[in-house]
Amino acid sequence: MPDKTTIQKTKLISLIGPPNSGKTTIFNYLSGQNYRTVNYPGATVEYSVSDFLKSFNINAKLLDSPGIISLSPKSPDEKVTVDSFFNHPKFGVADLVLLTVDASQLSRHLFLVEQVIRSGYNVIVVLTMCDILNSKGFDISLDKLKSMLGFDAVKLDGRNGDGLDELVNKIKLNHEKSENKKIVKHEFNEKDLMDIFNKTGNIEQEVLFSLNEYVPDVCKANLQLNVISDAKLRNKPDAKTIRYDKVFLHKYWGIIIFILIVSLTFTSIFWLSTPLMDLIDMLFTFLSAQADDLLGKTIFADFISNGLISGSGSVLVFLPQIIILFFILGILEDTGYLARGAMLIDKPLSKIGLNGRSFVPMLSGFACAIPAIMAARTIQNKKERLLTIFIIPLLSCSARLPVYSLLVAFLFPGSPFSSGLVLAAIYLFSIISSVIVSGFVNRFLPKIVNVSDKTSFIMELPAYRVPKFKFVLKNTLDNAGQYLKKAGPVIVIFSTVLWFLTYFPNTNPVIENQENIPQTELEHKINSERISTSYASNLGKVLEPVMRPIGMDWRIGVSLIATFTAREVFVSSLALILKATDSEEDLQQSIINQMNQAKIESTGNKMFTTSTTIGLIVFFVFALQCISTIAIIKKETGGWKIPVIQVLVFTFVAYLFTFLTVNGLRLMGIQ
Amino acid sequence: MTAADLKFGQKAKIDSLDVEHPSSFRLLEYGFTPGEEIELINTPLFKDPIQLSIRGALIAIRKSDAKCINIKLN
Repeated sequence: MPDKTTIQKTKLISLIGPPNSGKTTIFNYLSGQNYRTVNYPGATVEYSVSDFLKSFNINAKLLDSPGIISLSPKSPDEKVTVDSFFNHPKFGVADLVLLTVDASQLSRHLFLVEQVIRSGYNVIVVLTMCDILNSKGFDISLDKLKSMLGFDAVKLDGRNGDGLDELVNKIKLNHEKSENKKIVKHEFNEKDLMDIFNKTGNIEQEVLFSLNEYVPDVCKANLQLNVISDAKLRNKPDAKTIRYDKVFLHKYWGIIIFILIVSLTFTSIFWLSTPLMDLIDMLFTFLSAQADDLLGKTIFADFISNGLISGSGSVLVFLPQIIILFFILGILEDTGYLARGAMLIDKPLSKIGLNGRSFVPMLSGFACAIPAIMAARTIQNKKERLLTIFIIPLLSCSARLPVYSLLVAFLFPGSPFSSGLVLAAIYLFSIISSVIVSGFVNRFLPKIVNVSDKTSFIMELPAYRVPKFKFVLKNTLDNAGQYLKKAGPVIVIFSTVLWFLTYFPNTNPVIENQENIPQTELEHKINSERISTSYASNLGKVLEPVMRPIGMDWRIGVSLIATFTAREVFVSSLALILKATDSEEDLQQSIINQMNQAKIESTGNKMFTTSTTIGLIVFFVFALQCISTIAIIKKETGGWKIPVIQVLVFTFVAYLFTFLTVNGLRLMGIQ
Repeated sequence: MTAADLKFGQKAKIDSLDVEHPSSFRLLEYGFTPGEEIELINTPLFKDPIQLSIRGALIAIRKSDAKCINIKLN
């Protein structure tokens, strides 16, 4: 029998605060960056939970959650945050609440503190950004603040961790003896809000003192005389930030810098990740070949090398892009620029039914739709959030890049310059089509889902800060881990299914005249014979009537089905089906050679012509062929309605436009 | 006059909030309470949203939301 005292519940310490109040920094310091991010059960909001850094010797769980400005939630993620704050489904009610407060905006940030105190919690206030307060010529009297709030407070410098020891001591003192009063979840009304702000305004006036005039006695009179200008000075935003904003939010410069930053972000995603992606690709090709050699020519070996290893490879190959994107976004967010970007793009986005807050999710959509759709949670208005989720699959995610590269290289052999231009044009086309679709769906969405909330855009623009690379990197890796956990299993399972469909039932095809054929070519013949008699090809042949009007046959149909696991699978499955060899030359060139020879089986016409290749590109721009995206949309929108509509609409649009492109080009005399 | 009518660099005192406006509650939470001083800091290219200062913070706000803040010029 365990002693009763030892089965006592672990204490829970909750960390909350408004966005940009330095909450994440405090969390990183206290946890020693040793946390894991988990989803709230049954909900989509992420929180991080951690033990305290060992050396602090605090036996409690530390819980972080997204930033909130009040206890009256507006967006879905705020609602879950607030609900869990009052009763966390797993950890219960917090024994102690750490509240981060930006000292340079005391009256605003104490608002949340006051709401939490009124709810009955035991709190410690952590004051951050004291350097900005000092640069305004003020400092804060901790003693006065403590006595006015009735709770403990501590200053912490986010840049170097000064004040951390003191905070740790206070947590220790507090969490051992503390007992919450009765926790009550208030519904705060307008009057309460005014009342709270009256109080926090008062506190601000009392606890702040001017640094210049802090020479006791001498300046007391002076201070009295300057009471009004003093208040004005206190309420002046960070001077450095205003200076920077005169440039970053300038009528013309602002937009030029915005375009520069966005295009730099894009290009670096592609340029920085390409070598890494090649490396991962090489590694998995190597592993797959090793497995083949080691295990011999058995079904099991083929499953390991072509099913499992290649499947995992297709998940991992996007990791560099996702890591780089999250890292750049993290840096931009940490500096304070991301909020400005959202502000600058709000007007144009609002014209097509979106919101400035759609900016970050859309930007992420160019790397991968999965994190992008998750990022849309921060959009308060339901219609705008659904619309953002609706168009994200149209933005050209990185999985489409290998497909476009192959098709463009086929159209413009040996001309990297025009290939680059065409690739840029495809991206532009994807942006334009998402804008058109968004404008169009905007008119129909209210009919599909019941949404009536009024649209608005109110966003705090944080003071510019030097980003903390270490924390951003940790957060980035954490996000990448999340991606792997969420997308990984789905992709591996579907790769297995696809492998099965392409391998069975004719597992051991018989090839005639084996003697005259060299070994590698023989293996290849076996592989392609197996696939052309497989379940996948049966499936593809059912598609034949659909593929014919767009100038293609069952083989492309099979490859298109295969792309549902991940779009870039199109390239490898095309290689398999067109019987391209990767033994001598590089795979892309080999596929292109085979594409040049491929003929439609029923008519004998060339399959890959200028018109059908452009048609295929158009198909990839629109079609939603990604199981993981569909799964995440189902999860985020809470039902099958939106993803099913998306699959139907985007597949129809893709097919229609491909049909129009192919046949239009043919009418114009372009085969 | 409302905060949406402010010109570049103009300061004003908040007189009242239009409680009928759906954004009024959120604006209160952001600290836009009667008696506070606001200033229009920047108007980017499309002149919307605008950048206001309130209680030492910088807030980007659409003009349609700013309309619910009734002001008196200083």
